[in-house]
Amino acid sequence: MENFFNLILEPLDQLFMRFKMFVPNFLAMLVILLLGYVLAYLIKRFLVKFLTAIKFDSWSDRMGFTKLMRHGNLWGKPSMLLGNIVFWVLLFLTLMSGLSALQIAVIDALVSQFFSYIPRIFSAAIIMIVGFVFSRFISRAVLIAAANSGFHYAKLLADAVSTLLLVLIVAMVMEQLQIAPVIVLAAFSIIFGGIVSALVIAFGVGGIHAARRIIEKDVLDKDKEETKDEIEHI
Amino acid sequence: MTDFYQTGVITTLHQLGISSLERLESELYGFGKVRPIALVLPALYSEFEGPAMPGIIKELSKVKYLNEIVLALDSASESQFQHVRELMAPIPTEVKIIHNKGKRITEVYETLARNGIEVGAQGKGRSVWMMYGYVLARGRSDVIALHDCDIVTYNRELLARLCYPVANPNLDYVFCKGFYSRISHKMNGRVTRLLVTPLVRSLQKLVGPHDFLAFLDSFRYALSGEFCMTTDLARVNRIPWDWGLEVGTLAEVHRNYSPRRVCQVDIATTYEHKHQILSPDDASKGLMKMAVDICKSVFRTLASEGVVFSDGLFKSLLVTYLRHAEDTIMKYEADATINGLDFDRHEEAKAVETFTRAIAMAAQAYTENPMSTPLIPNWNRVVAAIPDILEMLKMAVEEDNK
Repeated sequence: MENFFNLILEPLDQLFMRFKMFVPNFLAMLVILLLGYVLAYLIKRFLVKFLTAIKFDSWSDRMGFTKLMRHGNLWGKPSMLLGNIVFWVLLFLTLMSGLSALQIAVIDALVSQFFSYIPRIFSAAIIMIVGFVFSRFISRAVLIAAANSGFHYAKLLADAVSTLLLVLIVAMVMEQLQIAPVIVLAAFSIIFGGIVSALVIAFGVGGIHAARRIIEKDVLDKDKEETKDEIEHI
Repeated sequence: MTDFYQTGVITTLHQLGISSLERLESELYGFGKVRPIALVLPALYSEFEGPAMPGIIKELSKVKYLNEIVLALDSASESQFQHVRELMAPIPTEVKIIHNKGKRITEVYETLARNGIEVGAQGKGRSVWMMYGYVLARGRSDVIALHDCDIVTYNRELLARLCYPVANPNLDYVFCKGFYSRISHKMNGRVTRLLVTPLVRSLQKLVGPHDFLAFLDSFRYALSGEFCMTTDLARVNRIPWDWGLEVGTLAEVHRNYSPRRVCQVDIATTYEHKHQILSPDDASKGLMKMAVDICKSVFRTLASEGVVFSDGLFKSLLVTYLRHAEDTIMKYEADATINGLDFDRHEEAKAVETFTRAIAMAAQAYTENPMSTPLIPNWNRVVAAIPDILEMLKMAVEEDNK
């Protein structure tokens, strides 16, 4: 009979022992989450105030970030959006740290995988931001240059350049994040290669006569120069 | 029916003979293909609850030549905005509503504010400016017509006559102002009759012949809220956000275009709308506030054209104005008598006293701060500061109207 009770109590005892070991970990996770939440909230508040002070919103309005937000149907301030992104990223990091405090093997593996992925996310974000600013700059430069040259489709050309650069940047970001890299590479090669081939054909076929004229003029000019040289030597 | 006499430096288009709305509308339908017409309506939600707006909607439902209608809705909650959308649904023309209190439009206003673009407080001026911006952002119309939403006696002939001079490519007008007689059982339109005209003529007497004063005096109803213009003009015009909207708009038109390309048109035989109280003791509301804002707008415009306002000039102006206004009362009394209209001479005299105080207050405000200007920058200036603002505005309105 005693054995029978032992058979019943032993698992319960083991369960209780596991529970005793789990509770401190669980409490540690709750404390980490609570502290993380408070810290993330404070950092968000500070960041939003800082960005407002340096007129980040106004800068975003001029650089086109705000328009990008509106395209995504986001109607808050850019500084608030950035604050919210930082808040949720920090909260996510806190959640990961909290989960690792539970000391469960499967979760530990998941957390370590996540942390090893973070550098990629950072570099992708930097590529995205720098690339976007760069594309805006180039697009503006093309617009001004084309408009000053009297080109009728200056806006269209600037938009096309901007779109191409954005395609390139998105491909780079996806590659960095290792999201279906083979498909991204193939798709990018096909799209970019296709566009370049189309341009080559368009300019090649359409510009045969213009190219011939330019080359002939060049050759003619050289001939003239050579003739001039000969006379001078004589 | 009126005479055909041409007054002043602008063209006056009278209502002569028997008008044919069908002819006007069919011609406008043709002009609309070359110069698409947008109608912009600054409205309050309360105007949909009164008798005016249902009548306007009923009339607009029969209009076929308009390319688009843009309505700026003020003082309305989200549910009221949705209700207005339902009320506007019978109109066959595409209608877009700018919900000034909505989340997205509020964000557009905040974007303007943080970039140093002062657009003033809620009111007709700000709404009109925003609607111009939206029409420019869409780029689908070449002509913009505007009328108030409190017209109880509205009929679609008013709109047709208002649009015609600018929409007709053969006439080459860039701005057209509506005029009408403000008559019910008595003479209304006190601010125009007893303030603007006597003030302008007094100033002409004091400062001598002046282009802007001659221009302003040419309008039969300078304060009418109905006008039509080309989109090019809407792009370069600055708009006052206070009660100086009408006079300020005329000042901007005078500044940017030759009077040869400006006209006024008789748009209605009767016109009745919401009346303002005189408010002689409170300069923050009613006709008193309106009078102060109008006078300030006139003084600032003249000062910007080189007229020097001294203390002595302002003192003389008060006396000259009072004499002119008293003479004007006598003229209108005779006019009312022969036409069998009620005429309360005491009320008219009280209005003149109030307006005299308003001129003095405006003069003081101008002397204290001559640089203060209630003008909203034109859209060219705004786009230079925030290149994507028109696109943002377009997106906000499109999303709100989905």
